[in-house]
Amino acid sequence: MKVELYNYIKAAQKMNRRQMLKGSAALGAAAMMPKSAFADGHGNVRAEILKIPGVGAGSPTDSDWQKVGEMCLAATKENVTEGEFAGVELTFMGLNNQNLHNFLFRGFLKPWEAYTGAKINWIDLAQADYNARLQQSIATGTVDFDIIEMGAPFEGDVLGKGLASEMPDWVKEQIDMDDYVDYLKAPVGTWNGKTYRVSIDGDCHSFAYRKDYFGADGIGGAEVPTTWQEINQVSKDLVGKEDPLTGLPAHGYLDPLKGWGGFGFYFLENRASAYAKHPNSPAWLFEPDTMKPMVNNPAWVQAIQDVMDLIEAGAYPADQINADPGTTAFQQFLAGTGSMLMWWGDVGSSARTSDTSVVGDVVGFGINPASERVYNAAEGAWEDTRNEAPNMAYIGWGVYVMATVEGDEKKKKAAWSAAAHLGGKDLSLWASAYPSGFQPYRNSHFQFEEWEEAGYDRAFIEDYLGSNADSYNHPNAAIEPRIPGIFQYYSVAEDELAKGYAGQYGSAQETADAIAAAWEKITDQIGRDSQIAVYKASLGM
Amino acid sequence: MTAPEGDLLHTVTADNIPEARRRFGKAIVWGSALLVVALAVWQMAYETGRVASGFETWRPVLYAYMLWATALCAAQVIVNGEKGKRTLFVLPAALFVISLVVFPLLFALYISFTDWNLASPNGPQPNGWDNMREMWNDGFYWNALKNMVYYVLAVSVEYVIAFGLALLLNAQIRARKFFRVVFLLPLMLSPVAVSWMIGKSMLEIRFGPISRVLREMGVEPSFFGSPEIARFWIMAMDAWTFIPFMMIMLLAGLQALPREVIEASKVDGATGWQSFREVIFPLMLPVSVTAIVIRIIFKLKLADIIINVTSGGPGGATDSVTSFIFREYRDRSNVGYGTLLAMVYLVLIVIFVTLLLKVVSRWMERPA
Repeated sequence: MKVELYNYIKAAQKMNRRQMLKGSAALGAAAMMPKSAFADGHGNVRAEILKIPGVGAGSPTDSDWQKVGEMCLAATKENVTEGEFAGVELTFMGLNNQNLHNFLFRGFLKPWEAYTGAKINWIDLAQADYNARLQQSIATGTVDFDIIEMGAPFEGDVLGKGLASEMPDWVKEQIDMDDYVDYLKAPVGTWNGKTYRVSIDGDCHSFAYRKDYFGADGIGGAEVPTTWQEINQVSKDLVGKEDPLTGLPAHGYLDPLKGWGGFGFYFLENRASAYAKHPNSPAWLFEPDTMKPMVNNPAWVQAIQDVMDLIEAGAYPADQINADPGTTAFQQFLAGTGSMLMWWGDVGSSARTSDTSVVGDVVGFGINPASERVYNAAEGAWEDTRNEAPNMAYIGWGVYVMATVEGDEKKKKAAWSAAAHLGGKDLSLWASAYPSGFQPYRNSHFQFEEWEEAGYDRAFIEDYLGSNADSYNHPNAAIEPRIPGIFQYYSVAEDELAKGYAGQYGSAQETADAIAAAWEKITDQIGRDSQIAVYKASLGM
Repeated sequence: MTAPEGDLLHTVTADNIPEARRRFGKAIVWGSALLVVALAVWQMAYETGRVASGFETWRPVLYAYMLWATALCAAQVIVNGEKGKRTLFVLPAALFVISLVVFPLLFALYISFTDWNLASPNGPQPNGWDNMREMWNDGFYWNALKNMVYYVLAVSVEYVIAFGLALLLNAQIRARKFFRVVFLLPLMLSPVAVSWMIGKSMLEIRFGPISRVLREMGVEPSFFGSPEIARFWIMAMDAWTFIPFMMIMLLAGLQALPREVIEASKVDGATGWQSFREVIFPLMLPVSVTAIVIRIIFKLKLADIIINVTSGGPGGATDSVTSFIFREYRDRSNVGYGTLLAMVYLVLIVIFVTLLLKVVSRWMERPA
């Protein structure tokens, strides 16, 4: 503003300098707000943010993320005064997968920074580098970040070692934790009764399939398969047929056969959970009293055998042995190769809103396929009963504040305010509806009419959200253990599986035995007693 | 007073240094050394729980070491005067090397005999020869070593191609300078970029242009499906990146050849092949051997392309020792075992390269 203008207003309205500046700031902020923000105040924020940019209007950009961040600031403003964190610098460590995660956080937090006066420095990591970076920071005592985007499986490593800051009560209120779906409530996000996690994601693997493969004239059969036995049969039957969408060879289920820094093991778990997760016990990876691996019991061996059968039948696309989960979801399924897939919810939100998807109109969803029989590990025998056990792979991303902020109340409040902004009720609705890397995780995310207003068609969204809701609320959900070094177990399993899939072991049993032997070594190295204690605690036993 | 004789330029006159000054110089060296040792012992005792108080980190020991290093340098002049200044030309660099190479190497040696897993709450615990025994029984490591033999043997093919290209670029061809630059381009690319551009884009099984061409020709493409083919493509991508390096070395060698010898062979009636076999190739042996040895050393570090394209698969068929160690260390945070594997590989490389240099030394000298 020009000096003479300032002087004129001051003289005419008898404003003092402070009032003048406050007025200018408010005017400036109002001018920066998107038009839609003025609509109907807070009540309509959810509807308005879902129109940014609108389903079918291309992938959201940085300006969209900033608009959404700006429009969702109301909750922050209730607890933080303008400029309260001036001079505070925070470091945020998170992912940069597919230009999501931290890229969105930057946009969401930009208006928060402008309002609070805090500054955030960013550490961006590729998915495959995440575990190593975190473990090194912990082991060498060089935690150089104040806020971290972290999955619940690492809680044993971080919360168990007292490296995080306990969540203040005002944050719990701001983010409305009661709205979380049940499986994300305690003990997830807690350690020894204290709460540490702002959830921003709810993870489970759900089943995605191509509707054009199934039905009366479908090349995959009249009905969508719902068990692993049916899926394997359909996959074998599709060999030699033509994809109705692309005209290229048709394929059935897409197993990723290459490792993914440990994350690839979840995809064998999808098959194994139906066989191995008996309703009589929450444990399905290790025996809780001994940490003896269950990965070589008949249930897991069956899951490995299923994959080997499809390799033998030539049911996968060429070079599947070199396909990791990123390939199966984004380069294969969404691009029109293959008809069935298990993945996180990103596939559902990306199918309609990503520029690279060609299957948006023909994709359907369901929960993790069942098995016609289940292995009862306690009895050591198969039971011929149908078993469903959705795999809650990774239990979702959360935002955690590190103990580095303790001792500086201003910094601590700033860090928690930033975390609460990212995990806010309204903002999270937008993140679950658009490409973000995050799935719906609150009960309020399942109000279908909100999604319909955003441009999704009702049938699609009921199908997609329904598969998530059914998984979250399933009584026999397979929950991942939050034990230290869990990704070491997964990573070494990937190596052994790769050998098995390449035919270097004599059988599925031999492959599973090799994994079990490697897991025993890791348990001994980390410490068997401490692992048993943490494993039991994480399963609520 | 008699004038000093001999090499006056490099003679340093002896300073007349008082004994007290000498004693002071020695005292600051020994005093600071004592401080380093005392702090290190104290900190060690603190970390092992033998004493109750200590520093939060080892940083004070590092500061004491820097103090000792400074005192050592200063003492050279204090004790030896002008003569000591000559030592100062080398001493700081030597201390720098000791700090950043020798000490970490010794530390790594210690780590490699511990069971350090980053997820373990107990930190590094010495475990004797356990890691060595585990390595001995580790099929993945031996498989990776076997793959390294294939990868190193591939250098011979790369050498033939590089020599051919060097001969072509040495000939009087049109646009020679342009081609020299073009052939060098792959060397300027990072192997990571090559992995993505070729391994994950051009060779992408459905959309990649090479796949499309093959499919048009009626061939169903598969580049990383079988162990042999996958290994071939890794070798091909690595070769594409580094053949220009050998080529440029060989080209420099060709251009330095005495022209009169080659012309003399032509005057004597030698054909092009005879001239190459009897004159050019023998004269090029020293350059060739140097290029091959350097290329082998590069090859022993092969990892980035493998990590990006195949992660060592299928079933470890493309794993190099470095890519396996990377997985063991990074994905599994198995620091102790991973370090041991790296140390053993270092020893193997030193032995292999020493033997290699010994064997090829007779060809390293240009024939008289």
